[in-house]
Amino acid sequence: AGALAAPQNLSVHSTNLKHLLRWSPVVVPGGTVSYSVEYQGEYESLYASHIWIPSSRCSPAVGPECDVTDDITANVQYNLRVRATLGSQTSAWSTLEHPFHRNSTILTPPGLDVTKDGFHLVIELEDLGPQFEFLVFYWRRESGAKEQVKTVRRGGIPVHLETMEPGAPYCVKAQTFAKAIGRHSAFSQADCVEVQGEALPLAL
Amino acid sequence: GLRRCLISMDMHHIEQSFQGIKRAVQAKDTFQNVTILSKSETLQSIKPLDVCCVTKNLLTFYMDRVFKDHQEPNPQILRKISSIANSFLYMQKTLQQCQEQRRCHCRQEAINVTTVIHDNYDQLEVRSAAVKSLGELDVFLAWIDKNHQETSA
Repeated sequence: AGALAAPQNLSVHSTNLKHLLRWSPVVVPGGTVSYSVEYQGEYESLYASHIWIPSSRCSPAVGPECDVTDDITANVQYNLRVRATLGSQTSAWSTLEHPFHRNSTILTPPGLDVTKDGFHLVIELEDLGPQFEFLVFYWRRESGAKEQVKTVRRGGIPVHLETMEPGAPYCVKAQTFAKAIGRHSAFSQADCVEVQGEALPLAL
Repeated sequence: GLRRCLISMDMHHIEQSFQGIKRAVQAKDTFQNVTILSKSETLQSIKPLDVCCVTKNLLTFYMDRVFKDHQEPNPQILRKISSIANSFLYMQKTLQQCQEQRRCHCRQEAINVTTVIHDNYDQLEVRSAAVKSLGELDVFLAWIDKNHQETSA
């Protein structure tokens, strides 16, 4: 049988600092092909170019995809390469055409749940892990109302924003902040809620 | 000094990487009574004005010598060292910008400190020196953290 073909079409799909390396599968009828993934940071490529490091999650990998998030840990360029293995046969390495930098990750607007608990304006943000904070903007939708800002350190937990008064809706929008790369996402869609009934009795 | 130089950076992640390898690396250090970064005299005596230069020089020390001289067979330890080395490279690039804006001046005191450390390194056989310096990374990281805290905007 001829030499085992090397994987082709390597690409990195990165969203919210989660990085997936993908490639076209090597198909051998009747055979189960596995893959090894290795990476090299800019330090290695500059100071020790012979050094390639086995990916922490995919040596070996069974499918044409590898989560390299835990390997890409600094704000520098990373080279990535993959090879196929079938029994005792091993293909040549295929290297990602352009080095990957995590700065290029796509930041999506955060999932935002806006609710009212009695007269309380409560939100819950999507949990994106410790690498993210959230900037939350909220306002009472009436002329002259001032926009408030609050930083939320973690998603996945309810956050009380304000005690509302009837008569106008309260609106909220949010964006993520990726601390490791110092970038913000776009804003989520603004979501509004309103409380009915009498204004709160003044405390005497 | 570093006050306006070292852009805020996630030192916690670097410290975590080091803690993951500290025991294994320090166990390979066969010269326990010798030190390269010499905690008390060398780093602690550095004045704020010299912090940027010393940081830059020590980052270079680790990248040009220590990480290169250390041959690590264990992939898990290699990953952590790589993570630290690439973070140091990023930090060095950051300080490069300060240097271009002439805000990372090297006085003789700062140069002397780096010379002492290189001399300490040269006293040992290169593999032993590299392992010892790796094992003393926490001294350097703590020093960066302390000086960055005092100086971050």
